[in-house]
Amino acid sequence: MMHSPSHTPHTDTSPSDSQVDQYGPTSSILELRSVSCAYEPTRPAIQNISFSIREGEILCLLGPSGCGKTTILRAIAGFEPVRSGQIFLSDRIVSSSSETVPTEERRVGMVFQEYALFPHLRVADNIAFGLHQLSRLERTSRVQDMLRLTGLEGLERRYPHELSGGQQQRVALSRALVQNPVLLLLDEPFSNLDPDMASRMRQDLHALLHRMKTTTILVTHDHDEAFAMADRIAVLNRGEIEQLDTPELIYHLPATRFVADFVGQADFITGQIQQGVVHTELGTFPNTIDGGEGAHVVVMIRPDDIHLMPNKSAAPRIVARQFRGSENLYTVQLPSGQVVHSSESSTSVYHEGTAVELRVSATHTVLFSAEQPPCS
Amino acid sequence: MIAVHRLSVSTLQLAVLATAALILLPLGYVTTLALSADPAVWQRLWTTRVPELLLNTVSLAGAVALITLMLGVSTAWMVTRFEFPGRRLWEIALVLPLAMPTYVLAYVYNYLLGFGGPMEQLWQLVAGPQARIFSPQSFWGVTLVMALDTFPFVYLLTRSALLSFNVSFEEVARTCGASPLRTMFSVTLPLLRPSIVAGVALVVLYVVSDFGAVSLLRYQTLTYAVFQQMTGRSDNQAASILSILLVILALLFLLTERWFRRKSRFYQTTGHYRAPQRIQRGWLHTGLLTACLATVVGLAFGIPTSLLVMWSLSQEALAILDTRFFGFVWNSALLSSLAATAAVLVGLPLAYLASRKPTWLNLGCLQAAYAGYVLPGPVAALAVLVLFLSIMPFFYGTVLVLIVAYVLHFLPAGLQSLEPSIQQITPNLEEVARTLGLGVRETWRRVTLPLIRNGVIVAWVLIFLQTMKELPATLLLRPVGFDTLAIRVWLEASEEYYQLAAPSALLIVLVGLPALFLLLSRDWRAA
Repeated sequence: MMHSPSHTPHTDTSPSDSQVDQYGPTSSILELRSVSCAYEPTRPAIQNISFSIREGEILCLLGPSGCGKTTILRAIAGFEPVRSGQIFLSDRIVSSSSETVPTEERRVGMVFQEYALFPHLRVADNIAFGLHQLSRLERTSRVQDMLRLTGLEGLERRYPHELSGGQQQRVALSRALVQNPVLLLLDEPFSNLDPDMASRMRQDLHALLHRMKTTTILVTHDHDEAFAMADRIAVLNRGEIEQLDTPELIYHLPATRFVADFVGQADFITGQIQQGVVHTELGTFPNTIDGGEGAHVVVMIRPDDIHLMPNKSAAPRIVARQFRGSENLYTVQLPSGQVVHSSESSTSVYHEGTAVELRVSATHTVLFSAEQPPCS
Repeated sequence: MIAVHRLSVSTLQLAVLATAALILLPLGYVTTLALSADPAVWQRLWTTRVPELLLNTVSLAGAVALITLMLGVSTAWMVTRFEFPGRRLWEIALVLPLAMPTYVLAYVYNYLLGFGGPMEQLWQLVAGPQARIFSPQSFWGVTLVMALDTFPFVYLLTRSALLSFNVSFEEVARTCGASPLRTMFSVTLPLLRPSIVAGVALVVLYVVSDFGAVSLLRYQTLTYAVFQQMTGRSDNQAASILSILLVILALLFLLTERWFRRKSRFYQTTGHYRAPQRIQRGWLHTGLLTACLATVVGLAFGIPTSLLVMWSLSQEALAILDTRFFGFVWNSALLSSLAATAAVLVGLPLAYLASRKPTWLNLGCLQAAYAGYVLPGPVAALAVLVLFLSIMPFFYGTVLVLIVAYVLHFLPAGLQSLEPSIQQITPNLEEVARTLGLGVRETWRRVTLPLIRNGVIVAWVLIFLQTMKELPATLLLRPVGFDTLAIRVWLEASEEYYQLAAPSALLIVLVGLPALFLLLSRDWRAA
């Protein structure tokens, strides 16, 4: 209901229309072309970042702290000058080494990690902050719409400190969405919530963003959050994109060892290519990377691909069991000392020291060459 | 009455009660004296003096508050938001005016702006030989002097609030489409309001209770009138009526300020925050910023200090640097050490008991000790004077009366550094010492005292230096012929012997500098 035409009066005045022809039409809302940001000791640098995002898409920037994901977000918002490359927003160049369009002219909405709700303003005034050019009547109706949409009715007279964490987050979100931004930027929006609340808010937010068809970039270090929210994920490491794919591909076909390791538990088993197949301690796997005969490789296996069954004559031994509620995660030691993990159903309980036979159901084998880090 | 509740009344408890009595008794006496006055006296004061005095005091406080607000906030903004060569130097230079007592600045400006003074001559070069500038002995003269002397209060508090300001608030405003200017006025300044208001409140209290500048520039305020009633007319009753009005005015103001700040308790964000980045400035802007800051610091500290140095090196000034002068230095040092020692000895048990046994009685005693905060110097002097005159007249005119007045006046300043240092020590440390076989006394000597030593030293030094430059109470209560440096400055300056006042004034300013840095070191690194 937010996007009904009557509620988007300033789309016509958006500078994007006049400049479309200048740069040629593209289908994307946002495009980064080889963007690098200047290095400052307090912030991680980013190098050569390129990606684009379609209308209505949710893109997630995933990576460990210090990987530069927040720097990218801030460059898109216009808080961070770029050293080289360009950022296009609605087909208009907004950041380059020579010019930076001020944030307030970019029409991006942003939700900060700590929400940054103005403590001197009531909820309704916080949400209406960006609508000062509208008439009072229109402002009120827009705010009311937004309150209804985010389930905040009745709280408009409260001050931020009188709200719970989840409510604060929804106010911050409303404040960003109410101006119909071209692009919504979310910086670790769930990190200040307790886990239960976070997962509920995640579902609500996902539904809301899809309903409103809001183009969104989400920054997080939590792969579960990225999987739950994103249409596509860009995994970042040390200021560079390691892989940009759908959540399923990121998980099952990681492009690099870093990605494999970061998005979930993974074991890496060494092997050697002989007669076109990879020989490892856990059996043979197809050679998917065109490694030459005799080449050393590493096979990535996820715990849910390894199944174990007790077998007194088998050599691998269970060394630990971690009960996780919905599953049991077993740590198994192979005769060589290599440790692998297996995820079993919640009810199959084996004691430590049990000799087990391992079966690998490799529907999708991921190989990395042993020495150099990535390829595949 | 405590004895009924507790079988063993510790000596500490007694000391605390005695202190509270020492502070409340004089106040009670002044109040009684004022209330017992003949209604005709009230009537006379109310119709003749009070309206003028109230108007003068309030308008002076208002004008100074407005100017310090603009000066303090803009200078704080300059040194926290911009990066330019010399910024760190200005950051420190802007607090220097605090080392200058108002009577020193007032006497320098009496000369600078005076009839035929340098400012007037400069102005006449521009505007013709008959041009006049405003007299220092006017509303605007006093306002200028007070504003230049007190704006660092606003500067300091705004500066530290700006340093710890969460810049996300500004960034989110920008994503909502607000221009930098709108962001500043609708987000940054409202969020800084509690700190700015606190700074302005300090300024107002300072202006209302100031005696030095208004007396030298002959501007009638309530504080000055209290002094005049006591000296000129020897009318302690009228003085106490004016004192009560003054205290009520200060309390009203404090309550308003509390009420104003009540809602802003939640303004401080916790957890994640991003400190603002300073914007690098080019040569043109650096020049402008430097010119602005140099003007402010120059007017408030640079020019006055240079003049003092110049005068001190003149023939007349060098001639008075004899044994008599060193006698004044000795008097000042002696009085200040006695006052500081007495205040620390009195303050320690208060702060200690309030922290370790926070009963309503102990907390009440502590609050009573803070009452001196709203007492201008002449009022403190009056209170002590009437008490001694009525119960121990034989002490009148001795150093003891003076010391009591100082303790009453400066105890709050000392408590402000004693209290936190005691609160920082967990009682577990004392308890563990007891389990290790130490007695109460031993525990104090070997555990508590070494841990609070720094707080005690800071309190002592602060009180020492405040006493050093104290003027009205000393003027009113000193033994006959017992002059201090502050007294000499005031006496010579009143007679417009600028050169003769300079050495004492310079010495006071120089001695005041370490106190400033002591105060600053506690909260300088705000972010």
